[in-house]
Amino acid sequence: MQTKRTIFPNKLLPYALLAPQLAVTLVFFIWPAFQAVKSSFEREDPFGFRTTFIWFENYARLFADPGYVNSLQKTAIFSVSVTLLSMSLSLLLAVAVTRVIRSNRAYTTLLVWPYAVAPVVVGILWWFMFNPTIGIAPYILRGLGISWNHRIDGNQAMILVVIAASWKQISYNFLFFVAGLQSVPQSLTEAAAIDGAGPFKRFWTIVFPLLSPTTFFLLIVNINYSMFDTFGLIDATTNGGPNQATNILVYKVYADGFLGLNIGSSAAQSVVLMLIVIALTAIQFRYIERRVQY
Amino acid sequence: MATIDLIDLKKNYGNVPAVKGVNLRVADGELIVLVGPSGCGKSTLLRMVAGLETVSEGRIEIGGRDVVKAEPAERDIAMVFQNYALYPHMTVRGNLEYGLKNRGTPRAEIDRRVQEAADILEIGALLDRKPRQLSGGQRQRVAMGRAIVREPAAFLFDEPLSNLDAKLRVQMRVEIRKLQRRLKTTSLYVTHDQLEAMTLADRLVVMNGGLVEQIGTPTEVYDRPATVFVAGFIGSPPMNLIPVSSLSGAPAALPRNTDIIGIRPDALFLDPQGGDAIALAGKVELLEPIGGESHLHVRLDSSGQSVVLSVPGRPDIAEGSAVTLHARLADIHPYNAQTGRRTDETVANL
Repeated sequence: MQTKRTIFPNKLLPYALLAPQLAVTLVFFIWPAFQAVKSSFEREDPFGFRTTFIWFENYARLFADPGYVNSLQKTAIFSVSVTLLSMSLSLLLAVAVTRVIRSNRAYTTLLVWPYAVAPVVVGILWWFMFNPTIGIAPYILRGLGISWNHRIDGNQAMILVVIAASWKQISYNFLFFVAGLQSVPQSLTEAAAIDGAGPFKRFWTIVFPLLSPTTFFLLIVNINYSMFDTFGLIDATTNGGPNQATNILVYKVYADGFLGLNIGSSAAQSVVLMLIVIALTAIQFRYIERRVQY
Repeated sequence: MATIDLIDLKKNYGNVPAVKGVNLRVADGELIVLVGPSGCGKSTLLRMVAGLETVSEGRIEIGGRDVVKAEPAERDIAMVFQNYALYPHMTVRGNLEYGLKNRGTPRAEIDRRVQEAADILEIGALLDRKPRQLSGGQRQRVAMGRAIVREPAAFLFDEPLSNLDAKLRVQMRVEIRKLQRRLKTTSLYVTHDQLEAMTLADRLVVMNGGLVEQIGTPTEVYDRPATVFVAGFIGSPPMNLIPVSSLSGAPAALPRNTDIIGIRPDALFLDPQGGDAIALAGKVELLEPIGGESHLHVRLDSSGQSVVLSVPGRPDIAEGSAVTLHARLADIHPYNAQTGRRTDETVANL
């Protein structure tokens, strides 16, 4: 790509111009990351007097710990459920909205609102609605013969956080799907209609394959979101409980480090998370640039 | 093989009429070209026949069967789109097969038809490529192929050549004509390009403002434009339309109620032609040499109107010089401004 080159009269000027951004990145990203990697190789005594360098012992203990393996499993369940639920619902909504001609702007605006709500607030909203004592949802569910108490039932707790996390992400996915759907030329659907494909067949054989770049992008974004941006939501609804049922990796980092004060293990866990993010980002860059083949 | 009948066909978008009542019968195996300026309703008409637009009023019959309520797929038609509308994620073969697969055609039959279409259009070597790997002309062929494999009752063409460069357009135009002659499939073809219309059509339908102005063979339409609009639309450069009032001493031989006369650029001469004729005095404004002939723009002294005549070769006339133009009375098309119609016949063409 041909870009215009600027020649600076002073050799220091370009560095000075870059400095603020570099400083922010160094202080808030690189330095903490480095600290995390460093502490993940150390053990501190309970009173913080001595730190011992212990190589990979934190990591070894981590993967031997049934609690961590459980957390990995919960994260996988949570992540996959949130991604599937929020993406399928938002695709459904996007398709529905593009079919409405008159009021689609109003629908779009309304559907985007949840994205403006902070994760903790989302958590509190759903916590209220599903509160076994005062919530409206358990009241209705009781009428249907379902006893709801996510403070006792781990599966119900998982369902609650999945719903809350998906709800928040639907807006974001929805916007991308609407844009993606609008970029599928109408003449293709028309050609398919003449070619004898019904509405469902048209969607699955023509529109959906053409949406694949959007879908793939959202898949990565959603996995990232559900794994790393849902800390506040978990903290406000279930605190990782009951009995570790919703203790996903990112929450466990916090719980072990700041509540359990096991800094070494917590640091090792964040390094593992960091590696997962790096892997996801690498996949994203590698394939998103190339787009999904068609 | 089928006929297409449009009976009092109308389309309104809200209160805005787009097609205001069209009657047309496309005979079996005939290629009819709908031609007109942008917004004349020709594409809307075609899309109604395809089933992509609902019909506000009137009937459409394909092969004698009323299809107004039928889905596009049930109408046994194939359409070639302006942007080709090839499925970008499928190979050329996939594109050709898609319509047949949807209809549950047996595998052997699909293969036979795809092979046949590929042979006809010479796209056999491209079958495993994706549309984005094809040139404009090749895409055009694939779009045609997708229509052919279906072996439909009728082809509908929606400005299929307008995305091609000029040279390719001429080439593909000839190919479409040959192909249609060979397959003898009833076809409706929409274009705004009058050259395309003239060369392709068995019959032309000239549309304007949602109405049919004239239906006839290209020669009929060119030789006897039924309305002032057709006179000005068909032919390049367009016919000169001169108000009779601006003529000095209108010839008595014009039919009653004539207040506009039309003279084609090639029916105007710089020398007297003998016989009944009219003469127009003016000044040469511009001389455009366009190869074998030249276009002479002349501003008439009587009304200040500019007329165009085409003369063979490169005449030796300086811009600004005074000339007298002559036209034979037989070459003059007489019209009435109020009705817009010819005054030398009772037109009952519709």
